[in-house]
Amino acid sequence: MDQVSDEEVEVREEEEEEEEDSDKEDQDLDKMFGAWLGELDKLTQSLDDGRPEPPPQQKAPLRQETNMANFSYRFSIYNINEALNQGDNVDLDALMADLCSIEQELSTINTKPNSSSSGLARLGLTDTKVRGRISRNGLLTSASSYTSATMRRPGASQRQHRRTGSVGTVSEHEQINSLPLSLSLLKHSYLDRETSLILRNIAGKPSHLLTKEEQAAKLKAENIRVALEKIKEAQVKKLVIRVHLSDESSKTMMVDERQTVRQVLDSLLEKSHCGYSADWSLVETINELQMERIFEDHENLVENLLNWTRDSQNRLMFTERIEKYALFKNPQNYLLGRKETCEMAERNKEALLEECFGGSSVSVPEMEGVLWLKEDGKKSWKKRYFLLRASGIYYVPKGKAKASRDLVCFLQLDHVNVYLGQDYKSKYKAPTDYCMVLKHPQIQKKSQYIKYLCCDDIRTLQQWINSIRITKYGKQLYTNFQEAMRRSEAAYDWSSLSSSSIKSGSSSSSLPESQSNHSSQSDSGVSEMTSSGHTRSQSVVSSIFSDAWRRGTQGEETKDHVVLFQRFKPETVVS
Amino acid sequence: MAAWDLSVTVEDLGSDAPPVTISVASDLHVGGVILKLVEKTQIKRDWSDHALWWEQKQQWLLRTAWTLEKYGIHADARLLFMPQHKPLKLGLPNGITLRLRASFSCPVFQTVMGICRMLNIRHPEELSLLRPVEEKKKKKDKDLAEEIYDLTEVPLSSGTLKIQIFNYRLSEKLDCNRLTFFAVSRPCLYNGMPAHFVDSPQMEAIYKMLSVTQPPPAPEVIAKQYRPASVVDKAHINGRWLDSSRCLMQQGIQENDRLWLRFKYAAFYDIEPKYDVVRLTQLYEQARWAILLEDVDCTEEEMMLFGALQYHISKVAQSEPQMLSTNAAMDDLESALMSLEVKMEGENSSASEFNVIVCFRPKRLTLKGYKQYWFKFQDTSISYFKSKEESIGEPIQQINLRGCEVAPDVNVASQKFLIRLLIPAPEGMNEVYLRCENEQQYAQWMAACRLASKGKSLADSSFQSEIQSIRSFLAMQKTNSHGNAPAGDESINTHSLVSPRYHKKYKPKQLTPRILDAYQNVAQLSLTDALMRFLQIWQALPDFGLSYVVVRFKGSRKDEVLGIAPNRLIRIDLGVGDVVKTWRYNNMKQWNVNWDIRQMAIEFDGNVNIAFSCVTADCKIVHEFIGGYIFMSTRSREKSDTLNEELFHKLTGGHEAL
Repeated sequence: MDQVSDEEVEVREEEEEEEEDSDKEDQDLDKMFGAWLGELDKLTQSLDDGRPEPPPQQKAPLRQETNMANFSYRFSIYNINEALNQGDNVDLDALMADLCSIEQELSTINTKPNSSSSGLARLGLTDTKVRGRISRNGLLTSASSYTSATMRRPGASQRQHRRTGSVGTVSEHEQINSLPLSLSLLKHSYLDRETSLILRNIAGKPSHLLTKEEQAAKLKAENIRVALEKIKEAQVKKLVIRVHLSDESSKTMMVDERQTVRQVLDSLLEKSHCGYSADWSLVETINELQMERIFEDHENLVENLLNWTRDSQNRLMFTERIEKYALFKNPQNYLLGRKETCEMAERNKEALLEECFGGSSVSVPEMEGVLWLKEDGKKSWKKRYFLLRASGIYYVPKGKAKASRDLVCFLQLDHVNVYLGQDYKSKYKAPTDYCMVLKHPQIQKKSQYIKYLCCDDIRTLQQWINSIRITKYGKQLYTNFQEAMRRSEAAYDWSSLSSSSIKSGSSSSSLPESQSNHSSQSDSGVSEMTSSGHTRSQSVVSSIFSDAWRRGTQGEETKDHVVLFQRFKPETVVS
Repeated sequence: MAAWDLSVTVEDLGSDAPPVTISVASDLHVGGVILKLVEKTQIKRDWSDHALWWEQKQQWLLRTAWTLEKYGIHADARLLFMPQHKPLKLGLPNGITLRLRASFSCPVFQTVMGICRMLNIRHPEELSLLRPVEEKKKKKDKDLAEEIYDLTEVPLSSGTLKIQIFNYRLSEKLDCNRLTFFAVSRPCLYNGMPAHFVDSPQMEAIYKMLSVTQPPPAPEVIAKQYRPASVVDKAHINGRWLDSSRCLMQQGIQENDRLWLRFKYAAFYDIEPKYDVVRLTQLYEQARWAILLEDVDCTEEEMMLFGALQYHISKVAQSEPQMLSTNAAMDDLESALMSLEVKMEGENSSASEFNVIVCFRPKRLTLKGYKQYWFKFQDTSISYFKSKEESIGEPIQQINLRGCEVAPDVNVASQKFLIRLLIPAPEGMNEVYLRCENEQQYAQWMAACRLASKGKSLADSSFQSEIQSIRSFLAMQKTNSHGNAPAGDESINTHSLVSPRYHKKYKPKQLTPRILDAYQNVAQLSLTDALMRFLQIWQALPDFGLSYVVVRFKGSRKDEVLGIAPNRLIRIDLGVGDVVKTWRYNNMKQWNVNWDIRQMAIEFDGNVNIAFSCVTADCKIVHEFIGGYIFMSTRSREKSDTLNEELFHKLTGGHEAL
């Protein structure tokens, strides 16, 4: 079997660089990054076979961009700039911890090709040369790479130096380039006809009844699945985000493109020690349009953030919002179509929720009434009778009864999100300040495709917003809530334990398990460090750092920590 | 004890034969009577299904150990000796009539269980029987001999474990009322069918009829059907349900009478497409007819989506083999390999791009006309160039279609093939029109745009099938525009997919683009997914699952309508046509029926009491509906596989059952 030994780790520098900052603290920081990067560099060199430098970065081929998705990754540089220039408390320690975990990942990835290709070999690919090809392709698109890992992180680059002004990018990819393998080969050798036939036959059979061959076939399929998962995993991208807190401070952290809002919340909660409650939310505020939306826990954060434009003034807030799950805490106020709020026994609340969300289909709350609609392009609002149905929002045309067949479809909800409008009384001369907005998440500027609705009171507004959420997300919303509650209970149980011993719910735990399995199984067989070990060492490092930064200590002490950090590192590398 | 003569009519001797007279004593038990009777007739046959029916009392004498005295039978009793199972014409939700043998002696609840077992429908508690709406027979000459599928030969014990009841041989331990055993769990299947359907090609054909959706009905057929025009009309239908706690004989149903089998309770528990092929199909058929006949109101948009789903389902049902035996895990793996394949193919750029000249118009910039550009499709983006020669260079613009809305604007007759793209951008939506030259080009580009909007590239395996489905839809428009639709299988008259209201509102060719519009969102669904989606949307309609009854509330002087839903009761004012009040079962403390004055009284939390008498249906029906829904809601909690029949009767039976 050909070992895929010549994969590489590449560190690429981002296009813009800003002037060096003379701030002493920052210099220390840079040194630290430098040290870290030095290590990384060594790692790189050992892997690099000395291919020439990458060709100059390709010019963007587009004269005019029509769609955000044209760019593999874009993110509000504004936020980072702001953070760095103002020199306020960038949570670099947290970032450091993240970097640390990436490094770990990297080291695992390095060994990965071994096992995945050996996996392939086991599956009948031994006769095929799985050759690694080194590519210095800086602009790596996922379509062009079979396996790649691209990561981004800010403020650091290969040449140890100052922070860059923009979102610094370190894209580290290594490619096992098995592209010469033709697809047909892959397909057939992965699952030859016999195997798939056996698999089909054994479908649904209890495992103890299987024959040897059948079990082998099953095992084979399992192996393929693992291999495929690893391939997928290696393509994961990361990006740095800035999260604003309600006290005007902010945190910078790294998120992985697969992470859900829930996972990001968990990692934020752990880092900020702010006490667990299900109400903690990530809120997107679109300043230009004066609107905001609480991200749902199941949503993919990166996907949402990629809708922001390059020069966006949008913010991501980390804050407690009781309205996030008020729907489940007092379902009687939302699900029964009542006009007035009321109390309900806990037992009945549960029954009500179970009735609404427990069945096979979720019924849409009966929501109807007069709302104000802002007329396109004007600052005038007109009254209309609106109804909510599973298929969208409708209104009753003038002079008609509200029979279903006469309703006019105002909007279908598949492609739009519901936002809370802020201070529209003065901005748009709205009748009240209780406004909601419906728009496609990609729309970021004023547009005729944004619909504004105004309610008479806050209660009506909240009922509408929540009913629309139920219509859009259905049972998922309830699952989110239950999950959030479970975590808060768990957090309560653990409160007696020291924070460092808690397995973090951050990016490190979001790594698929196969990775840690893999590391212990790796052919190198050096270390058998468990993944909880990783997290511990990492969080110890990060908490030591954060303490250090908080005290404002500088110089030697910091260096000590760097040493400490490096002392931890070899372990993670070998594993 | 003194002997006396008892005369019994034996059905098997023919209707003209005189009653058989036997000499009995009052302490003779029913089993003994039967034995004497059988001996006297001197016919050798299997009498095991026969039992005595007491005509005056409208009662079966099923307790064979009871003596005549205990039953109170004297010489003047008119007794009938006949089989308990008799043939019945059963109208299915899909509109087809079956002839099968059903129990005339068990409570209807058990009769339905038996029928469902035979037809392989799980959860029989959700179904019941009702008397059909009389069809207006205007023209007798048009007396089309209706095809009736015959299942009367199926042995009665088939489906589950053999439980035969030999009433007169066994002691009192086994009697009909106690027979509560019924395996709700998965029946054992052969070739995906219950054993009795594998016997012969005829039987297999019947199973196919049960488990495969019917093609869309002709518009005239829809128009001919009875459509309830108002809530009151709908209320009248609910007066036709049979009483679940009494047997068919007691409700005046005769041999070979026609009854409908329908899903009665709108609480469909645990639908598992793998085991519920017949159940799912019949449920879909019932839902489809409810939509077509406007039994449940919906909006125009919803109607178009229902139409699109029906079209899709009928198309896929024809092509797809009926049994879905693939393993989910296998599917996962295959799709993973598939996506890998796509990625690999993406390398080979020739496979994932194609060039073509398309005319293009950004909507607001120009008032009229389209400008020709050279277009190129790559991955999920389209780029355009001034000419083919320039296409190696930089495009004038590149548009990524991921997440955009794609809508057709097509008129085959006038050769208009437009693709309307609504592309989200930070500034709002960009509206772009692509004009294709011909059908072929349109189908390709439309398919590519649709895939791209879902983030799939041209290398995706569904590309060709997408092209095919677009072309077949275009073909539909073509045939529709030539007047009457011929009966080709590719062409469906769009009037077959919507309710008669829209027959009047739109011509078929006007309807086609609208349905096509909705169709693009469902075109990729598998048969099962499409069926499930149809049911889901149906269940999400505000009026879904409401059974209406006209009632008179205590103290009120006018008729009002009571709507019975799976989780609540609603009071509808007939004058306004609006919901006046809602009561939820969750808050219900108790309900009572005063059988003497036929009045229902219900008490809710917080001292809310309501009482009403029923106008369009017997109060037993209303009682059974409410009790039935409460029974349905208990199912999820106790996850047992057997049906708690006792509880059902307790909740729905009223005093008669107890």
